[in-house]
Amino acid sequence: MALIQNTKCECGHQNPPGTVLCEACGKPLDEELAASDSVLEMRYDGMARRSQKSRPNPIDRVWNFFSSVKVAVWLIITTLVAASLGTIFPQESAFVNLTDPAGYYRETYGTAGAIYYALGLSRTYESWWFITLLVMIGASLVICSLDRVLPLYRALTRQQVRKHLQFITRQQVVYVGPIEGDPGAWTVKFAEILRRRRFKVRTDGTALLAEKNRFSRWGPYVLHIGLIVFLLAVLSRGIPGWYMDEYVGLDDGELEQIPQTKYFVKSLGFSIELYSDEEMPEHLKGELRPKQFITKAVLYECVAWCDDVTRQPELREVASHDIRVNSPLSYRGLRLYQYDFAESPRLISVRPVLVDKRTGESYGPFELPMRHPPLTYSAGPFTLELRDSFPEFGLDENGEPVTLSREPNAPAFVFVIKGPGLPEEGVPYLYFPREADRQRFGQDRINGEAAELFEIRVQSMEDVEFSTYTSYLNVRVDRGMPYVWTGAAICMIGLLMGIYWNHRRIWLRIDDGVLSLGAHTNKNTFGLRAEVAAALAKAGIVVEAKSLDNRRKET
Amino acid sequence: MLLVGGYAVGRSFASSGDVLRPGDKPPSFRLADLRGEAHSLEEYAGNPLILNFWGTFCPPCREEMPALQQQYEAWKDQGLQVVGINLSEDKHRAENFIRRIGVSFPILLDTDRRTERAFGLREYPTTYFIDAGGVIRQIVSGPLTIEDIDERVKSLLGKV
Amino acid sequence: MIDWLQISSNAVIVAFLLYCLSFIAYAVAVAGSRFSNREPETHRKKWGNVGLWLAALGWTAHLVYFFARWAGAGHPPVSNLYEFLMALSVAVMLAFFVIRFAYRHPLLGAFALPLTIIMVAYASVFPSEVQPLVPALSSIWLRLHVTLAVLGEAFFAVGFTAALILILRFTDFSRTDKAGRRARFWAEFTLVVIVIVVGFLVAVFGFRAAGYQAEFRQETVTVDQRGNVIEQENRVVYGLPPIFKPYNSETVSMDPFLGMTEPLFETPSWMNGVNAGRKWNTVVWSVIVGLLLYGLLRLLVRKPLGKAIHPYLEGIDPDDLDEISYRAIAIGFPIFTLGALIFAMIWAQIAWSRFWGWDPKEVWALITWLYYSAYLHLRLSRGWQGIRSAWLAAIGFLVVMFTLIGVNLLIAGLHSYAGVS
Repeated sequence: MALIQNTKCECGHQNPPGTVLCEACGKPLDEELAASDSVLEMRYDGMARRSQKSRPNPIDRVWNFFSSVKVAVWLIITTLVAASLGTIFPQESAFVNLTDPAGYYRETYGTAGAIYYALGLSRTYESWWFITLLVMIGASLVICSLDRVLPLYRALTRQQVRKHLQFITRQQVVYVGPIEGDPGAWTVKFAEILRRRRFKVRTDGTALLAEKNRFSRWGPYVLHIGLIVFLLAVLSRGIPGWYMDEYVGLDDGELEQIPQTKYFVKSLGFSIELYSDEEMPEHLKGELRPKQFITKAVLYECVAWCDDVTRQPELREVASHDIRVNSPLSYRGLRLYQYDFAESPRLISVRPVLVDKRTGESYGPFELPMRHPPLTYSAGPFTLELRDSFPEFGLDENGEPVTLSREPNAPAFVFVIKGPGLPEEGVPYLYFPREADRQRFGQDRINGEAAELFEIRVQSMEDVEFSTYTSYLNVRVDRGMPYVWTGAAICMIGLLMGIYWNHRRIWLRIDDGVLSLGAHTNKNTFGLRAEVAAALAKAGIVVEAKSLDNRRKET
Repeated sequence: MLLVGGYAVGRSFASSGDVLRPGDKPPSFRLADLRGEAHSLEEYAGNPLILNFWGTFCPPCREEMPALQQQYEAWKDQGLQVVGINLSEDKHRAENFIRRIGVSFPILLDTDRRTERAFGLREYPTTYFIDAGGVIRQIVSGPLTIEDIDERVKSLLGKV
Repeated sequence: MIDWLQISSNAVIVAFLLYCLSFIAYAVAVAGSRFSNREPETHRKKWGNVGLWLAALGWTAHLVYFFARWAGAGHPPVSNLYEFLMALSVAVMLAFFVIRFAYRHPLLGAFALPLTIIMVAYASVFPSEVQPLVPALSSIWLRLHVTLAVLGEAFFAVGFTAALILILRFTDFSRTDKAGRRARFWAEFTLVVIVIVVGFLVAVFGFRAAGYQAEFRQETVTVDQRGNVIEQENRVVYGLPPIFKPYNSETVSMDPFLGMTEPLFETPSWMNGVNAGRKWNTVVWSVIVGLLLYGLLRLLVRKPLGKAIHPYLEGIDPDDLDEISYRAIAIGFPIFTLGALIFAMIWAQIAWSRFWGWDPKEVWALITWLYYSAYLHLRLSRGWQGIRSAWLAAIGFLVVMFTLIGVNLLIAGLHSYAGVS
């Protein structure tokens, strides 16, 4: 190849190096190409692209790599295969509480599982190589688009009407034939026919350029922009403060802080709505099927002493909502969704009275919560000091009282009761709020004499607060979401533009009574042939659409 | 694109599991002790530290407490610090137990399981042996005997 | 009180019969053009039109199924596998009509109709009782998601149909060189797979008609975190004679078959779970019956099936088929994107607060999308049009089917313990 390319076309236009078809008249510049008869490659109308430079420097090499469609297809296929590998076994992220991942995969799936874990496939979608693939696709999207959109824009906006004969006769759809009458008049009439078919027509004497749906060419680039926005939005989850995904489990009446925030959430109660019999089909009547899960939730914000561990934070209510499965509590970007629930019947608090057995009088009631009980209580003239508490009472191997867990499954409280007629140091009294525990551990036997002096008991079920379920809420912050949807919307618009409309162009010229017509579209040549045949028919030239197809002449 | 992408890739390296390993630095915390005063992890920098997560509901935790106390008394003059972090129980429960065993090293109270979650705890007890530079040297899940603690303290001090 | 559900199930039968008749008409159109004394073109057109009208009637009945079931159930019928596959077959016919009118190709129906027939039959394998919706499912976004995804996949299916015709048309069965033999092998293989699917249907419906049943019981013992031993008993009923009984199970009862009173083999242990055993048994039966059918067909025509069909396709223009296949996929792609990905993300965000959770169903929808986008990109290059593109379309359809059915059955199934049907 000569070092200095002759890029000046015979029509007089000076083309940038690398141009395949003259920007002005469309004549093939390369001698070999000009000599052949093949259908012209109309990509970018033959304009020069940056990635086609003949002596690439390192930046150009990177550019060329990412702008190649072949590379893009390979990236897509690799991502596709990688994603499918992640579906063979459940991913680590599918488990809320996986204590020993390596062991789990080995035990449940055998050697295959152990290999799966060792290769990192159990964390496919968070792994560095998968994210790298996505970033590379992103880079490819950017560079591919930039590489092509500018030449395309230049090509399409500076179109000359009168094209070189070779350009016209080597399009995909071609008709060459004689016409009668005045060429100029024929051109004008044909222009009218095409205008009625919604073409934009420009004429230049006996030459004509008709164009329709140019906007469709931008479709793929709009789609790529949308994908870039989408990818950026997804990757932006890494930015601190933009993303949170936590779980909070609440019994009825329980208040918990949402991790990493200043917010607290309290459940006023969880309930399940069942389908009524009328709503159920015949063969299922009488069965219990859940229709909706509801948590009445209240959101608080900490306004004082938030970071001070030595004091209780001061809270202010900011929002409340009945959280249902499709309806989260939403406050300033923070969203609480109903995620799950578990049946976990639990005592929340009791309001017992203190009965003085000597007199038969009962004093109180006093409020005794199972979690974080205060240290003193008063019932009439008596005070009860809390010495010890056991959320789940049990006895260790030495017969000593211990607690088996942190959950109030079998609560027990050791009070020291002080008051009139009692020794100064007080009378110790062990109290089991649940009757079952009281029987099981023999409360009265343990308390001995104190049991004859006092009884602490709950007067009615009204004084017992119970929680049947623990409700699990999913707390999420995702500031990238609006961009995700924006990106998705742009993608769709680009897809619709690019696929459901085609960019059609018809060039023609009349030389010595011979009409040469060439037409091009980026897709759906079948439709283009049909349209050209219909237009020609209206102009008095009857041809079968199939015969217009210029591609068949080559093997 | 490159910026955000590179950052995302970098983060994916970092978040390869929230489990602490020897060689990591423990996450910071700020908790109240039994007297109501606040202490943070940074206070203990400059000297080796044994950080023990325990609860009264966990039998092995109860069993190893006397061993920890004994080792604390044996090595504290050489700079060893021992801090016990109670696993979000009520203060009076922790106090009763500490008093019964006769523990003299500081006890901090975790609340709402925040610190245990930050450390990614899976089992109780878990004890972290941290050197003077603030780097975790060993993590032991399960009860420790006097000998277990002894040899690890020696290596911690040896690395001062 | 109108019994909509009864009308709905009757409508399915009517639709099915009409589709079969339509297929026969199309088959006459294709085959008869060699034997008829009329000019092939006219013959094809006439019988093609008969087929088209019958298909249209069938589709009307099919729509009656859809709307009657909607009326009877109170929600659009797209909420279990049966309803979903039925909706897919309705959509395939719709896509077929659209492409048929765009391209006026008289023979597309000869292959599209069997596809629909097989799909309707396949849908009927699954339980068809109406179920009330679980709270997470009651959202309009879900319905939009399913409907559009189904429509997009229907267009991919029609694209596959045109691609299949192209493959059979193009594969030169007289070539004996290596590349030629490989092409013939794969074309025939594709047909064998289709016959196996038919074999599955024959096996399931055959034994169902005979009322066959075998029941197994499997006990699993697990120890939970507290040290409590939990014993669980799972039962499964087989509708096909058990060649493979579930791993580690006991026979509760078993109808005898051809003198077989005991299960022949036991499913390997890595397919644990009673339902994995049942599915494996079904697969084995499908292959056996399918191969038997294939053998019979080959005896009848005395040559590979592809070779037998090939001559009837000689008059078809391969470029047109290529274009039809491509356009069907191109039309379906945005619909699929909108339905299977975007609306799915919206619904997931609303129901579970995560628009993308990398769960297998979602991942496979993404894989399908990536695959077809690779297809569209490859078509930009001249070398990939024609037969290569046709094979891509065929594989793409496989990916679609896997996403719809394989993920449910295989990925959930291999780890399924009892209770997941």
